[in-house]
Formats: sequence, C-alpha cells, structure tokens
Amino acid sequence: MAEDLVLDTAIRDWVLIPLSVVMVLIGILRYFVSKLMLSSQLPDPKIVKEGQIIVRARNLRAAANFIPPKSFRSRRVYFSNEENGLLFVPKGQAQNPQAQMFSDPNMAMDMMKKNLSMIIPQTLTFAWVNFFFSGFVAAKIPFPLTQRFRSMLQNGIDLSTVDVSYVSSRSWYFLNLFGLRGLFSLILGEENATDDTQRMMQMSGFGFDPSKNLGAEKDGLDIVQHEWALPKFEHRAEAVLKKLIK
Amino acid sequence: MVSKTEETQLNRLENQVDNGGGGAWDYLCLVRKLKVRRSEKVFKYGLSILNDPKKRSALGPEEWTLYEQVAIAAMDCQCLDVTKDCIKVLQKKFPESKRVGRLNGMLLEAKGSWAEAEKAYSSLLEDNSLDQVIHKRRVAMAKAQGNISKAIELLNKYLEIFMADHDAWRELADIYVSLQMYKQAAFCYEELILSQPTVPLYHLAYADVLYTLGGLENLQTAKKYYASTIDLTGGKNTRALFGICLCTSAIAQVSKGRNKEDKESPELQSLAATALEKDYKQRAADKLGLLTSALRSLKI
Repeated sequence: MAEDLVLDTAIRDWVLIPLSVVMVLIGILRYFVSKLMLSSQLPDPKIVKEGQIIVRARNLRAAANFIPPKSFRSRRVYFSNEENGLLFVPKGQAQNPQAQMFSDPNMAMDMMKKNLSMIIPQTLTFAWVNFFFSGFVAAKIPFPLTQRFRSMLQNGIDLSTVDVSYVSSRSWYFLNLFGLRGLFSLILGEENATDDTQRMMQMSGFGFDPSKNLGAEKDGLDIVQHEWALPKFEHRAEAVLKKLIK
Repeated sequence: MVSKTEETQLNRLENQVDNGGGGAWDYLCLVRKLKVRRSEKVFKYGLSILNDPKKRSALGPEEWTLYEQVAIAAMDCQCLDVTKDCIKVLQKKFPESKRVGRLNGMLLEAKGSWAEAEKAYSSLLEDNSLDQVIHKRRVAMAKAQGNISKAIELLNKYLEIFMADHDAWRELADIYVSLQMYKQAAFCYEELILSQPTVPLYHLAYADVLYTLGGLENLQTAKKYYASTIDLTGGKNTRALFGICLCTSAIAQVSKGRNKEDKESPELQSLAATALEKDYKQRAADKLGLLTSALRSLKI
C-alpha cells in the first residue's frame, strides 16, 4: 500500500515553483489594479450616525458604574424608550440589508467591481492550471488521508490504486490560494485586496446589518444592572491617603 | 490624551532639536501623530526643512503632508505670507483637493474675514456633509467671533451625529462652564467619564461642577468623585484633596441639625488635611501657615 513513488525533481522545478510564482505575481497585479480602481465612496450619514450611536451605547454599558444612578437611568431611557429611543428599531422597519445595498447604485457598483476583481483572476488561473498541469502527480502530502479525498485531490490522475497522499497540481493551486495570504500581508502591508478568504467569509455572512446591531446594543443596555462604584472609591481613597501619609 | 511615555518622548525630541542635534523630521512626525499644538517649533523647523531643496526632495511624498502641517502652524503664529505660499504650492499639486480647500478656508478664518470663511466652509460641506474637521472649524469660528450661543448650537448639532467624539464633548463642557450652565456641563462631563473612565481629569472637573451646583446630594456625589480622583492619581492631586476638605465642611454645614451620615467622612477629611500639610511642607513650606489657618476655619 505504501510504496513510495519517486517523483521527478523536474516536477518541482517546472510545476510547483512556477505555479506559486505566478499566483504571487497575479496577487500583486490585482492589488495595484484595485488601487487604481478605488472610488471614493461618500459615507452615508445614517450609517455614520448609527455607528456613533453604537459606540456611545457601548461606552455607556461599559462604564455605567462610574456615573450616578440617576444619570445612568436617564441615559438608558434616552436610548431605549419605545417612542423615540435611539436604539429602538420597530419591527416592521428593520431594513432588509440586501435590498438596501442593491438600491444604492454606488454600493452595488463597488461590490460588483470587487467581486469581479476576485472572480476573474481565480477562474483564469484555475483554467490555466487545469489545462497545463493536469494528468500527473504533482506532490505528496506528508500525512495520510482517507479515500474520501481522492476525488478532490487527485482529479487528473485516473489510477485508483495510487495513495491519496499523492495529489495533483489542482490541490497545489488551492493550497496556494489560501496560503499566500500571509505572504501578501508581508509584501503588501496589511490591507490588501488579495484577501479573498476574508471577502468570501464576508459574503457568506451577508453585509453590514445595522438594525441588528442596534437591537443587540439595546438588549445589552436593558440587561445592565447599575451598581454605583463610587462609594467604594471613598474607601480606596482613604487607603491611598493613609499609605501616602506614612 | 497624550500618555506619559509619549510626552517624555516628545520633550526629549524637542530638546534634541532645540540644541541643534538634528531629528527635526522625527519630531514633526511625532507632533503630527499625537496632534499636539507646538506651532512655533513646527513652524521654525518645518520651514527650515522646506526651504532646503535637498532635504525637501529627501522627503518624497511626505513633502505635501509637511506643507500642510507648516501651513497650519504658520496660521497659528500669524505668519500669513508663509501660509499663502504653502497653500499655493499645494494647490498647484492638488488642484481639486478638498483638503486644500479646507486650508483656504482656514486661511480666510485666520485673516479674520469671517463671512468669506463661512461661505467657503458651507460650500465644502455641501460636497461632503460628514467632514468632521470642517464642522469643528465652524464651531471655532463662532466662538472666536464671540457668538457663544451659535457655537453651542453648532456643537450640539455636530454631537447629534458624531456623539462618540469626546473632544467635542470636552469643548462643550468648557463652554457651558464659562456660561455658568452647570447642569449641562455636568451632563457633558458624565459623557466624558463614560467614554474614558480612568482619566482623573474628568472626575475632578465633574466634582468641581457638582460642588458648584450645591445641594446636599450634589455635595455628597462631589465628595465621592473627589475621592475617586485621589484614588486615580495616588493622592497627589492637591485640588482633589482641597475638594474633599471643602465638601466635607459644606456637607456638615448643610446638614446641620439633621442626622449626619458620618460613615467614613471624618477620617477622609482628616487624612486629606494631613496629606495636604505634608505636601505643602515639602513643596511650599512658607505657605504652610496659610494652609493650617484655612483648614482650621473649615473644620468649624
């Protein structure tokens, strides 16, 4: 079962390394293209205001014990009362974020651009890999795998007796796709457009949902029990002074 | 707020540059990062870098940020010709820039032509209604013209949108205190304490305002906040120590004849008095007599 296939070093020279180099170069190219296509997006006043409200509500929750109970209560009412509380979002109005995003033409364009700049290079590279680098074993994965992975990793290799650890170049492509993120953040600095995996994760949990944030903050605020920490401070001040005087 | 380490670093660089030891560019970068207001030094050293073509080209793209920084410093020192030159250079390089438009507005403001500056700012705001700096410049202009009520109105409108901006709350608190609107000032200080609960400055200011408002409840709350200031500053804040003594005697006066809630107050007051005396002995021994007589009169 575990006969070791000896892989030609030419595979390493002509498949693995060129593939990695090409992916790095394409990543850098995409970074510069994205910089060129950067459109300055005017921030939406409503979203800015909501962001600030959330920060303020969060501060209120975090430091609630530092202000007198009356002030805390008045602020809590200001935020979460039923009529015009800042955090209160009546159920019907909770905007469907998807609809909101598509109705705003600028945002839709931006998203399209970002998606395109991600999809097209990926598709092209994948097609290129499949066309040129298929039909042979490219690398050996150092740990053993189950037979389930055979269809995924050994796509061009039509022998069913080859150990699943021997993979085709398609899997090397995927490995690079997800693995070069660290390299890019070294070369290009933190915020680079090649962060596909992050963007993919963002797309799946769709969009900035402000109404949910507000609701969450309101609930958090309602839960807070105000316990005024200041009386403790008098004792502590005494202790401090006693130590100082000695 | 600038932390202690940053402050020492800044002072060290300043001394170094003052004594001719180079490092002017690092100093300017640090000033810009910390947003401190050292306009004279920035003006002197920034201008010397800009006037030297070799040093200027060594900066690369940071040159334009330096122009902006020197322009603002020059306006602060009222050297408006230098400002005009800097802005001209920036305008040639970035013709349609909003940042340069903002500098132009500030120049008009520095010259004192309020109406034109107001027009410039409003037109910039039309393009981008969420530019925080321009809103704040309008408030500053209203304040400089002496129109405090307009400043308050503008600042309140600004805070309706940008309510997490603690510098704005601080400014508003200052304005209210200057107008003796202490209840509103107390509200602003509460906001500041909420956003930065470990900064003793805000506790102290809040306690001062509460003490000024008077009334038994406020005095007791003020005493608590003086105590928290003492705790946060390790007992070194003279004003808080005085505050404790004054508060305790004021409370005693107000609640004369009622049930005194002396839980731990006598100790705190005497401790504060002792700490004050020790402090004065160390630092201002000749004023110790004044202190002891003042403290004695309080304990009545």
